[in-house]
Amino acid sequence: MSSWLDYTINGLIVGNVYALVAVGLALIFGVSRLINFAQGSIYLVGAYIGWVAVVQLHTPLPLTILVVAVAAALVGLIIERFGLRPLQNSVRIAPLLATIGISFVLDQLVMLTFSPNPRALPSQLPDVRFQVGNGTIGPLDLLIAGVGITSALLLFVFLRYSKLGWAVRATAQDRDAAMQMGVDVNRVNQAVFGIAAALGGVSGMLVGMYYNQIDTAMSLQATLKGVVAEVVGGAGNVPGAVIGSLLLGLVESYGVAVFGTSYRNLFAFLLLVVVLVLRPNGLFASARQAPPEPLTGTFIAPSRPVRIPRWALLVAAGGFAILPLFPVSFYVLQTLINAWLLGMLALSLTLVAGTIGQVSLGHAALLAIGAYTSALLSLTLSVPVGLAIIGGGLMSAALGTLLISPSFRLRGHYVSIATLAIGEIVSLVILNWESVTRGPIGISGIPPLSLFGYDLISPTSIYWFSLAVMVVLALLQARLLGSHLGRSFRAIRDDDIAARAYGLSLNRYKSLAFIFGGFAAGVSGGIAAHLYSYINHETFNTQQSILALTVVILGGLGNVVGAIVGSVALVGLPEVFRLAAEYRILIYGIVLLLLVRFRPQGLLGTI
Amino acid sequence: MSNIDRRSLVKGSLAAMMAGAAFSRAAFAQSSEPILLGVSGPLTGPNAQYGTQWKQGFDLALDEIQAAGGINGRKLAYQFEDSQSDPRQSVAIAQKFVSDPRIVMELGDFSSPASMAASPIYQRGGLVQFGFTNSHPDFTKGGDFMWSTSVSQADEQPLLASYAVRRLGLKKLAVLHLNTDWGRTSRDYFVKAAKEYGAEVAVTEGYIAEERDFRSTLVRVRDANPDGLILISYYSDGALIARQARQVGLKQTICAASSVYSPKFLELGGEAVEDVHLGTRYFPQDPRPEVKKFIAGFKAKYGGQEPDAFNAYSYDAMNMAAAVVKIGGTDRRAIRDAFAKVKDVSSVIFGAATFDVESRRVKGAMNAELVVRKGQFALWDGKPT
Repeated sequence: MSSWLDYTINGLIVGNVYALVAVGLALIFGVSRLINFAQGSIYLVGAYIGWVAVVQLHTPLPLTILVVAVAAALVGLIIERFGLRPLQNSVRIAPLLATIGISFVLDQLVMLTFSPNPRALPSQLPDVRFQVGNGTIGPLDLLIAGVGITSALLLFVFLRYSKLGWAVRATAQDRDAAMQMGVDVNRVNQAVFGIAAALGGVSGMLVGMYYNQIDTAMSLQATLKGVVAEVVGGAGNVPGAVIGSLLLGLVESYGVAVFGTSYRNLFAFLLLVVVLVLRPNGLFASARQAPPEPLTGTFIAPSRPVRIPRWALLVAAGGFAILPLFPVSFYVLQTLINAWLLGMLALSLTLVAGTIGQVSLGHAALLAIGAYTSALLSLTLSVPVGLAIIGGGLMSAALGTLLISPSFRLRGHYVSIATLAIGEIVSLVILNWESVTRGPIGISGIPPLSLFGYDLISPTSIYWFSLAVMVVLALLQARLLGSHLGRSFRAIRDDDIAARAYGLSLNRYKSLAFIFGGFAAGVSGGIAAHLYSYINHETFNTQQSILALTVVILGGLGNVVGAIVGSVALVGLPEVFRLAAEYRILIYGIVLLLLVRFRPQGLLGTI
Repeated sequence: MSNIDRRSLVKGSLAAMMAGAAFSRAAFAQSSEPILLGVSGPLTGPNAQYGTQWKQGFDLALDEIQAAGGINGRKLAYQFEDSQSDPRQSVAIAQKFVSDPRIVMELGDFSSPASMAASPIYQRGGLVQFGFTNSHPDFTKGGDFMWSTSVSQADEQPLLASYAVRRLGLKKLAVLHLNTDWGRTSRDYFVKAAKEYGAEVAVTEGYIAEERDFRSTLVRVRDANPDGLILISYYSDGALIARQARQVGLKQTICAASSVYSPKFLELGGEAVEDVHLGTRYFPQDPRPEVKKFIAGFKAKYGGQEPDAFNAYSYDAMNMAAAVVKIGGTDRRAIRDAFAKVKDVSSVIFGAATFDVESRRVKGAMNAELVVRKGQFALWDGKPT
C-alpha cells in the first residue's frame, strides 16, 4: 500500500511541472481566447537562454531566472506586436494559425543556433534530497512548486485587485466594451503576453534543470500537456490550471500504477475527454464565465470566395490529368501524389471545420483508422485492395463519428481540444492493442495498390488513381455543399441557436458531416497504407493533423478547391525549399506567417 | 521492370538537366564528377539530432576515402535530403533519387516508417537502399535491393543478457524499453536470452520516446523487487531513467543496451550513470587499429569531441558504401551484386564486415563490456559494483 503514497507524490511532482506551462496558456486564453501554440516554443527558448546563462555566463540562479524571464518576455512582446496584433481584426482563427507558424519559426531558430543535440542543463541548487515516502524530493521540486503556485497566486491577485488586472479581465469578457470604456486593449495584450512568456521561459529553464536535459523536441510535448491541463482546470482560469495540472499528473501516475507505463498518456487524454464531456468549461470554470465563442461562425471574415470559372477548373484538372504524359520526373509525380492524398484529408477537414464549424485537431486519427483497416483487411482476410480501401473509408466514417459524437455538444476551441485528445487516444490504442494492430512493430508487407486485379505500381498509375479518387471526392463534396444539406451545415456553423430554432437537429447534421469527412480521410489513409507497404502508430501523427488544418485555413475554410490548392502549396513548398536544407522548415514557417498576415481568409476565401 | 527502369532513366536525366546546376550544394567543386550517394534522413524535426550525427560520421569517412585516392581516382560524395523521418517525404525523396541517374545507391532512412515506406520504390526502381540503422526485422525482407549493417537485435541482445546474467550475476531483472519497433524487438530477444541463461524477468515496461518522467514507472519496478535494471534505451532517455532511478532511491545495478553509448549519456546522466554497465561494439581504449583510427580522426576533426554509436554507424556505412562502389562501379545493379561480394570490410562495429547473402545483413558484431567509472566509459574489470 505504501506504493500508493509514492504514486501520489510522483503524480504531484510531475503535475507541478505541467502547471508551469498551463498557467501561461491559461492567462493568454483568458484574455484573448487563443490557444497559444507558441507557448511551448517560448518554453524551449527559455530553456536554451537558461543554458547560455548557466553554462556560458555562469550566472547565479536568481540572476539566471531574471535573465530568462526578461528575455522570454521580450520574445513574447515581439510575438504579440508583430505576429498577433496585426491580425486582431481578421478571422478569429488566424491568430491560432499564426501561433503555429511562430512556433515553427522559433523551434527552428533554436535548432539552427544550438544544433538539435540534447544538452545538459545543470541545476544550480544544492543536491540535497528529502525522504518522502520511499522516494526523495529535491530543492528543485520545491522551487518548481513554489514558482507555479506563487505565480498562480500573484496572477490571481493581479487580475482581481489591480487596475491593469481589471482591464485584462474586462478585455477578456468583452473586448469592444472594454475599448469603449477607455481600456487600452493593446497594452493589456502586451502585458499578458509579456507575463505569460516570462513564465513560459522560466518554466522551460526549470524543467530543463529538473531533468538535466534540454532538446529542441521538448516544445510540442510541453504545449500538448499544458493544453490538456489548462482545459481540465477550466480554460482561462489561472488557479484552475494549477489544479488541473496536478490532477493530470495524478491520473497519469495512477494510470501507470494500474496498467503500466505504455498506457500513461492514454489516461491523460481520456481524462481530458471525460472532463470536456461532463463539464465542457473545465472543472473550475466560474458559472458567470461567458460561453465559449465559436472559433469560426460569426468570426469568419466576411470574405467573398474567389470565384473560379468552371472552365478554369476543367483546364486545371485536365492539365494535371495529362501531366504524366509529359517528361516530368517521378519525383514531381510522387510529390503530387502526396498532395492528392493530403488533399483528400483536407477535403474531409474543410467540411467538418469549415462548413460545419467543428475545427478538428486530431484528423490524422481518421487516416490511421482507414490505413489500419485497409491494411489488415487485405493482409489477413485477403480482401482485394480496392475493396479494402473502401472498407477503410467506411470504418473511418463509422468509428470516427462514434468517437467524436460525445463532443458534439462542445463549441469553439473545446471541439479542437477534444479532437486533439481523441487523435492521441487513437494513436495510443493502436500502440497498445497489439493483438490487432501489432503494436509498435507495425504492419509490414502491405500489398501494393491494385484495381480489378491490375497492380498499380508505377508512379504514373498511382498518380492517376489518387488524382481520380480525389477529384471524385471533391465533386461529391461540391455537390453536397450546393444542396440543402450544405446550407444546413453552414447555418449550424454561423449560428447554431438560430439553426436549432429552425428545427435543424445539430447532432444529426454534425454526424452526417463527420461520416462524409471520415470516409474521405479513411480512403486517403487506406491508399497511403498500400503505397507505403509499412505503417505503424507513428506514421499518422499530430503533425499531420496540424498540417491538415493549416492546409484548410490556407485554402479558405469550407472551400473545396481551396483545400486542394492548399495541399499542393503545403506539400510543394517544403520540397521547393529543399535546396535550403536545414533552413527549409524555417522558411516554410515564415511563408506561412506572411500568408496568414496578408490573406487571413485563405487563398481562395471562405465559403 | 526493365521497362520502368528505362523510363525512369530518361525522365530522370531530363529532370537532372533542368535542375543540374542547382544540386551542386553537396557536390564538390572539382572538374571530375564525384560518384554520388543519396542520403535520406532527418535534418529537421524531432529526430534531427541523429541526422546531424550521421553527417559527422559520413564526413570523417569521406575525408579518409578522398585522402586514400577516392574510388578508383574519382571522388565520393553524398547528397543529403532531409526527410524529417516522415514517410510522406521519404517516398518523395526515394522517387527523386531513383530518377536521378547520378545517384548510384541510397543510405537511410532513420526510422522504420520512413525507411520501409520508401523500400518498394527503391526495390522497383532498382536502387540499393542501404539502411545502416534499420534494425526492424522486416527491413531487408522488402526486396533484394535492401541491405543493412544495423546490428541485428537477435545478435546484440543475447550478448547483453549474457553480460547481465552470466557475468554480473543478476538473477531477477526489470526491463525498461522504448516502445518502438526497435525497443520491442530488442526486449523480446533479451527476455528470451535472459531466461535461457537462468534469470527471471520480473517486469517489463515500455515507454514512448517523448516520455521524460519515469518516477511512477520506477515505483512499479521497485515493487517487482528486481536485483538489476535493464535499459533498452537511447542515450537521452537512458540518462533520464538512470537519474530518476537514483532519485527515487533505487540502488540496483543498471545494465544498458549499446545505443546509450555516447558522451552525451555521461553529460546528461551526471553522477547517476556512474557504475552503469553497458555492452558496446567498441570502446575508447580499444586496441583494434580501425577503432583507434576512427576515434583519433573523429576527435581531430570535431574539436576533441568523443564519437558515439550513431557516429560509428554512419562512419562504417560510408566506408562500406565505398567498398561496395569500388567493386560494383557506378551501375546500380552491379552495386547490388557487389554487396554480396565485399569481404571483410574494416568496420568499427563488426571488426571485419561481410554480408550474409541470405538475410542481407552482417552478423557477428564486436562486443565489449563497459562500465562507467569516474564519469568515463571504461572496460569492465570484472569487479562487482
